[in-house]
Amino acid sequence: MFGFLKGLSVTFGQMTKKKLTLQYPEVKPEWPERFRGIHQFIPEHCIVCNQCARICPTSCISLSGNRDENKKMHIDTYDINFEICILCDLCTEVCPTEAILMTDQFELATYSRDELYKDIHWLYENHVKHGNYQQLQAAKVQAAKEAEEKAKAAETEKATVEASTAGSDKGGDA
Amino acid sequence: MFSWQTQPLTGLNFLGMVIGAVIVLMVVLVVVMYTIYFERKVIGWMQNRIGPNRVGPFGLLQSAADVFKLLLKEDIVPANADRLMFMIAPIIAFVPSFMVLAVIPYTAAHVFTAGLNVGVLYYIALSSISIVGIVLGGWASNNKYSLVGGLRSAAQMISYEIPLGLSILGVIMLSGSLNLNTIVAHQATDRFGWYIIPQIIGFVVFVIAAIAELNRTPFDLPEAESELVAGYFTEYTGFRFAFYMLSEYVYVFAIASLGTTLFLGGWEGPFLPSWLWFALKTSLFIFFLFWVRATMPRIRIDQLMSFAWKVLIPVALFNILLTGALSLIL
Amino acid sequence: MSTTLRSEEMILNVGPQHPSTHGVFRLVVTLDGEQIVDADPVVGYLHRGTEKLAEGLQYTQIIPYTDRLDYIAAMLNNYALVHTVEHALDLEIPARAEHLRILVMELNRIASHLLFLGTYLLDLGAMSPFLYVFQERERIVQLFNEISGARLTYNYMRVGGVKWDAPPGWIEKVREFVPFMREKVKMYDKLISGNEIFLHRVRGIGVITQEDALQYSLSGINLRSTGIRFDLRKNRTYSIYDQFDFDMVTAENGDCYDRYYIHLEEIRQALNIVEQAAAQIPDGPVLGKVPKLIRIPAGEYYTSIEGARGELGVYIVSDGKDKPYRLKFRRPSFVNLQILRKMLIGQSMANLIAILGAVNIVLGEVDA
Repeated sequence: MFGFLKGLSVTFGQMTKKKLTLQYPEVKPEWPERFRGIHQFIPEHCIVCNQCARICPTSCISLSGNRDENKKMHIDTYDINFEICILCDLCTEVCPTEAILMTDQFELATYSRDELYKDIHWLYENHVKHGNYQQLQAAKVQAAKEAEEKAKAAETEKATVEASTAGSDKGGDA
Repeated sequence: MFSWQTQPLTGLNFLGMVIGAVIVLMVVLVVVMYTIYFERKVIGWMQNRIGPNRVGPFGLLQSAADVFKLLLKEDIVPANADRLMFMIAPIIAFVPSFMVLAVIPYTAAHVFTAGLNVGVLYYIALSSISIVGIVLGGWASNNKYSLVGGLRSAAQMISYEIPLGLSILGVIMLSGSLNLNTIVAHQATDRFGWYIIPQIIGFVVFVIAAIAELNRTPFDLPEAESELVAGYFTEYTGFRFAFYMLSEYVYVFAIASLGTTLFLGGWEGPFLPSWLWFALKTSLFIFFLFWVRATMPRIRIDQLMSFAWKVLIPVALFNILLTGALSLIL
Repeated sequence: MSTTLRSEEMILNVGPQHPSTHGVFRLVVTLDGEQIVDADPVVGYLHRGTEKLAEGLQYTQIIPYTDRLDYIAAMLNNYALVHTVEHALDLEIPARAEHLRILVMELNRIASHLLFLGTYLLDLGAMSPFLYVFQERERIVQLFNEISGARLTYNYMRVGGVKWDAPPGWIEKVREFVPFMREKVKMYDKLISGNEIFLHRVRGIGVITQEDALQYSLSGINLRSTGIRFDLRKNRTYSIYDQFDFDMVTAENGDCYDRYYIHLEEIRQALNIVEQAAAQIPDGPVLGKVPKLIRIPAGEYYTSIEGARGELGVYIVSDGKDKPYRLKFRRPSFVNLQILRKMLIGQSMANLIAILGAVNIVLGEVDA
């Protein structure tokens, strides 16, 4: 008969509970590591294999590359049309060199559709600002340091063993 | 104690009345603003949210910002609407809501209260005029949802006027007066205390009928947003919309005041000043309305009508019988 | 002068911009007073041509599109597609991948049923349950966000397994979620099931008979509410559902209350499955041996799973290429919606929303 009274007690009991509101623009949500946000692009990693453009279900990626003097492919343009991108993550899944990755950025609202065409510079900037640029740089510094130490160790070893073999110039450019 | 009701109607006294009315209007507007704020906060808390918190400290100016926004909005009159009716309907709905406040005794010193000897009757009679405004608004909008909303509203409010009146009758029988000031005074000296105790059945009927009169959840069929979009004010914008909202919330305040006066002893209470007692009791009443709103689903229109006629009215009549019998015996 | 009052029927357009049609669904209702004389559902406002698009896509590329069919239970859609492809290729799925799939699918079923509770109560005019269910759903969505990187469009299943293994600590979080959710289901029971107004609005409303249910090819909760015991997880076991102990929930009356009640009860059953799957999940790889380019041998393949709304089937016609020649989704929402007209005729206008809400459609799936 008075089932609604139980309901009233439930709603009243909620009043003292912790509030869950996230003050959004000031406080950003914490995203897990795998979060699929807007892409970042690292041009020096890209080998212009075109796999990302081919796997993309909406064909929102267009890219072009050049062969430089060392016969190495070099990326020239890399555009993602975020009007049709569905952030499915397939492009990063197929990328063999982790040149295209995702960030935790998700705010794409703009005043004009044109702004949703993101080019290589924007994507690189996103990499620097919100991507794993810091980690990559740190890793690079770390690798350089390690290589230097290795080279130094090799050199000292060489010095102690005597310079009987031809001097090698490996190390240094890891 | 100054009582302007007994003074002759001179120019000066008339001016005093006008000033009094304006002061009451201002107070009511502030009360309405903070009733809306209070509602949003309470329902927010009940839903584990924090409610308005952006405009002003703790969001205190949120309602002011909302009203300001509504005033700045374009006033759209639909092309096929009955223009004149469409424009005056919100006014018809609002004016009685403000007029009923004339008889509510807010404090022990009845400065701005008319000591009308048919106060209860005056309240019930005037509050039914608002129905005309609502039906008219729904009809004049020339929108099917509005029309259905307006007609539902008319059926509902007329049906619930009866149990509301009948539930008050018990109080009148106990106090022997239709004057709200006298009713409060009686409750202070009555041997059963406030009338909520001897009139508990009447009080329950009163609360249910009051919620229905206010068109609030679970009886908010006229504006059942999941069925009728927004009911009778679907087509209204800007300050005309604000008028409907205003009258709705003024009625919330008015009916809470009436309930406080009739059943909770009005301004009467120990230690604290009388106006504070009145404010506390009214707030409690209003809080209950919001609490119910946060919990209940909406009743269906045919069930609503049969509930009024088959349950509430017999219970209210039984209450009258019981009150009569008991006052004869005791 | 005639003694009868002249009256005429009124045509009311409910939708496509109506708060309670759960999206862009239009219902042209012919009313005689408050009584519904005829109801004509108009669908297609959200049609994106997923089936046609799929014909130009490789099987892996179709997976993100399935997310967008029934966007409330995307994991189940993901699975429906990869399940058919796996069936066609006769693939072995690693045990850990199967367990992870069961975990996310049942969690997704809970999230979907929760959303039904919330929106249904909102349709009936109670606003608090809507905000409560989003709190629990948020926890599930966070779990999905951690495992798949997205909150709504997961794109998590792959042919032969899943995209990622569970991150460290994820299984523990799922284990913690189960008792938490059980408490919450009790709270909903307390808040909603006893409320007289709610009971009056849903008891005996929108009754479906067993014959009608079969004739209209209903499935899922709409079918089980009539008392027919049909749950693909039991009747046509797929994946590893036969390893888990859970009950099929049915009711007898086929009214809106039964549908509400089964939703609540199925959350409890799904929690049982989640608990067992989280307890016995083995270690191992999460992706089986799959050819790099998936080519299905020429032929026709159909498998179906128990989606959150009913029998969710995928029918693939292959001509031996890496893209389907024709792909058809059997969308339960779309099929279940067909009985709406029959249910509505003769009812009062006030019951429209209660009946439409209880059918539990998702417009992304209806319009595909």
